[in-house]
Amino acid sequence: MTDPLELPKAGRRPRQTFELEETGFNEVPKRFRRFYRRWRGPGDKLGPNEALCPVCKVVIRSTKELRAGDRVYCMPCMSRLELVEEDGMLIAKVIY
Amino acid sequence: MVDFLSNYSIQKWLESCPQGYLEDTIYGHGADEREPEELLQNDDYREQQIRTTVQLIAGERCALAASSGLVNAAPDQASKTFLATQTLDEGRHVEIFTQRLFDLGVKPNDLESTIATYINPHLGKFAEVLLEKIDKKDFVAGVVGQNIVLEGMAFSVFEMLHAGAEAANPKFARTLSGTIADERRHVGFGENRIGDLIRRYPEKKPEVQRMQRDMTKHMLATFHEAFARNGGPAEARPSAPQKGKPAPTYQGLNMAEASNEEMEGALSATVLKEFKTRLGRIGLEYQSPV
Repeated sequence: MTDPLELPKAGRRPRQTFELEETGFNEVPKRFRRFYRRWRGPGDKLGPNEALCPVCKVVIRSTKELRAGDRVYCMPCMSRLELVEEDGMLIAKVIY
Repeated sequence: MVDFLSNYSIQKWLESCPQGYLEDTIYGHGADEREPEELLQNDDYREQQIRTTVQLIAGERCALAASSGLVNAAPDQASKTFLATQTLDEGRHVEIFTQRLFDLGVKPNDLESTIATYINPHLGKFAEVLLEKIDKKDFVAGVVGQNIVLEGMAFSVFEMLHAGAEAANPKFARTLSGTIADERRHVGFGENRIGDLIRRYPEKKPEVQRMQRDMTKHMLATFHEAFARNGGPAEARPSAPQKGKPAPTYQGLNMAEASNEEMEGALSATVLKEFKTRLGRIGLEYQSPV
């Protein structure tokens, strides 16, 4: 059996891609709105293409599956974030 | 150069706010939205809402004085531009909450006397600690006090009030959701700007932490007095109209059934947890006032 994490980058499972629909989020200019949605609280589940901004609690959405090491931008609060894996979960950390 | 602000502009602010979530609003709410009749006809209920709204006006007047004062204290043009937009946000908040007092039946000539009657004295002391730093043009302490402590507190208070008003008072809930959207930018500026500055000027830490401790003391006293006098948001009372929806909840508490002490505890715990987390992220240690 092959551990996929041990595979060279080129051999890793390709990232899933996602179509982003409008979510009703209207706190950024129109052309960027589909990249964000409101956090619905502790019961809310993040998709593999989503990260929660720890500064302003908005969900950031990508057209590609997100992985540790990726950098994302939260336009509503202007924070630049890096994704890190902690306890098997992806966590967004602010880059100052 | 302040990197995180490199894409920020007044143009982007225009597209996000006036042309975004504030589009088609009047004083922050829908043109056809009104205060509920049940509220206007119940003197106790109305007075409780006047008292709550007075605290919002007082907090926003403090934020307006602080953000406008910080424009001239900011060391770079990008921060000045951001703070100019924040100044307009805060001026708008003062206006929409003042308009709400008028909607609740306060006469314009009675505005200042109504504020003087109902203002929580601890909130005044909270503002004094911050405005002293602004007067000294202390940018680092001013941004921590304004954009992390004051805005962090406002963020949680608005969320609690929004939870209470969502079903019973859609007009007030809409007004609050616009201010919550503004607060996201303000806390984002605070964290990102100070996260960088504190690393460059670590000698500022003790003074800034002392200010945070003093502001926190006055904030907790404000909450205590507010809940002792008022209880939770009026819309969350069992007698409030819920339009057939389940009772509102905040931090797992049923707001229609929770005691004043439970509500005060839930709000204080939420705000303090947020303070600790935010301050820790930017390299400051939360100082307990107790």
